[in-house]
Amino acid sequence: MKDNSRQSVKNLTASGLAVKFLICLIVLILIMSCCVLIGSQSISLKNAFAGLIDRDINNLDYQILFGVRLPRVLMAAIIGAALACCGAVLQAILRNPLADPYILGISSGAALGAVIAIIFGSAFTWFGGIGIGFFAFIGAILTVWLVWLIGHFAAGGQAVASLLLAGVVVNAFLSAVIMLLTSIAKSDQLRATVLWLMGNIIEKDISTLILSSVLIIAGLVCLFFLSSKLNILSFGETHAKNLGVNTARTRLIAFAVSAFITAIAVSLSGLIGFAGLIVPHAVRLIFGPDHRQLLALSALIGAGFLVIADTIARIITAPAQLPVGVITALAGGPFFLILLAKYSRKISWIK
Amino acid sequence: MNSLVNVKNLGFAYNKNAIIEDMSFDVSAGSFLAIAGPNGAGKTTLLNLVCGILKPDSGQITIDSVPIKNYSYKNLARKIAVVRQEFIPSFDFTVSDTVSMARTPYLGILGFESDEDKDIVAQALEITETIHLASRPLSQISSGERQRVFIARAFAQNTPIILLDEPTSFLDLRHQVEIYDLLKKAQLENNKTIIAITHDINLTMQYCEKTLLLCPDKNYHIGATLDVLTKDKIEQAFGVRTLKADIGSRSIIMPVGKFFNTTN
Repeated sequence: MKDNSRQSVKNLTASGLAVKFLICLIVLILIMSCCVLIGSQSISLKNAFAGLIDRDINNLDYQILFGVRLPRVLMAAIIGAALACCGAVLQAILRNPLADPYILGISSGAALGAVIAIIFGSAFTWFGGIGIGFFAFIGAILTVWLVWLIGHFAAGGQAVASLLLAGVVVNAFLSAVIMLLTSIAKSDQLRATVLWLMGNIIEKDISTLILSSVLIIAGLVCLFFLSSKLNILSFGETHAKNLGVNTARTRLIAFAVSAFITAIAVSLSGLIGFAGLIVPHAVRLIFGPDHRQLLALSALIGAGFLVIADTIARIITAPAQLPVGVITALAGGPFFLILLAKYSRKISWIK
Repeated sequence: MNSLVNVKNLGFAYNKNAIIEDMSFDVSAGSFLAIAGPNGAGKTTLLNLVCGILKPDSGQITIDSVPIKNYSYKNLARKIAVVRQEFIPSFDFTVSDTVSMARTPYLGILGFESDEDKDIVAQALEITETIHLASRPLSQISSGERQRVFIARAFAQNTPIILLDEPTSFLDLRHQVEIYDLLKKAQLENNKTIIAITHDINLTMQYCEKTLLLCPDKNYHIGATLDVLTKDKIEQAFGVRTLKADIGSRSIIMPVGKFFNTTN
């Protein structure tokens, strides 16, 4: 009898999540392996792996596979994981299904930083290509901090609403500044700005890749530890407090960590739209709203999504390359509509 | 009688607009207290003060002789469970997900429920007769069922004190009685201390041995329900005349409007 009733409490278990996580991880690795092999230049695997042993600099297959494609696929995966997971977290703490990682000023802040770097770039190119990403990162962090301050002091008990308003206002203001700057930019600078704003994964050196991967993964693990509190926060402030959640502290940590890793992702790739919005929704529609599962699976599925999108962007107009943001928006929009039509009875805010 | 909740010289104001002034009362362990009063008299404010959501401007509230401000959120959530009137759905959690969240103050850092937690959740679902709804989304059950689910969540939180904000508003007669039977049973069998805001004076007369009646002029009456819910005090609090009929040792109270006459 007792066991029977326990059976009807079908909650997420640690082992159940581990199984789903492993399956998604294996699928992700398969996707990444395939995408590494696809490209405008066909390569010999045997030759490439031989290069792994003898380290022959003239081995072109080795150079393409391990020097160009693999880092790029890894980069796409890590950015996709960061964006999808942060989207899920922000949707939870803002209690807003339209939230994405960029909603609280990260996009305009990063864009302003990038535009400044592009237009006044010649003055700042100390580390070769790092200039734009570095400025985007600083811009994003400063803007998010500003939004948080405004939202916090204007709160009056309505922390969430005032944060959103502050984000909208700051975004609008900075967008005006960006338009002002681009209107005085030269045409080649304008093209670089537009390309950056559309989101573009380009090859970075290996140390940048490793450093940003470590920081992003650490951030994702940190967010995962907040996930049971995010579940309760989605019932609202008072419910959460009465269930023993320190809402102010949880929201601050979630906000700071997701802003930090989004800023890293943005500094690597520009503004890749849609990934952070649709992946958490898709995962929620298919697997349910439990954030312990949502965050873990969103990270893996977001990674797979962006790896595929970037591979398409890489090959569809080869040898030219499309910005990956174009692919995510083109593919993501209709895909999301299909999901929505199929599962809309499962989500309540649509009614 | 040991006092579980002690309110002493409590004062609270929203933007210098005093809601509660110099209020003191005791709630003993295992009792069922009703909080009654007209709209805007500060019932929900008082409830939010007792569960630590609002901070008093003056005076203090103690639970088990410890001031509320000395409790962490987590420890307070092991003392007091709250069933709220409003429910704002954000994502569509199922009934069993919702009730399981009551175990959060007891979970480890990763936040997965143990078998023991699941048994407690299953038991709460059984007591409230919501176990057949366990896998249904919260948005797809009736409001009476939803109210029982949130009461199940309060039971699963395993606290000595349960606060409820108008648990029977929007419910039909049978569901009203069912909710109060459920609460009464928890009081009598599990020695829970129950504090409920209510607009229904007759349910209060039937179930609650003590009543706190808030008046619009910041005055208040507290004591045995029969002593507090008198015609005079009800008129003072609500500004409405009542008729009272005695049935054995019980009474029922009916508000009287302008067009009422007994000859008709």
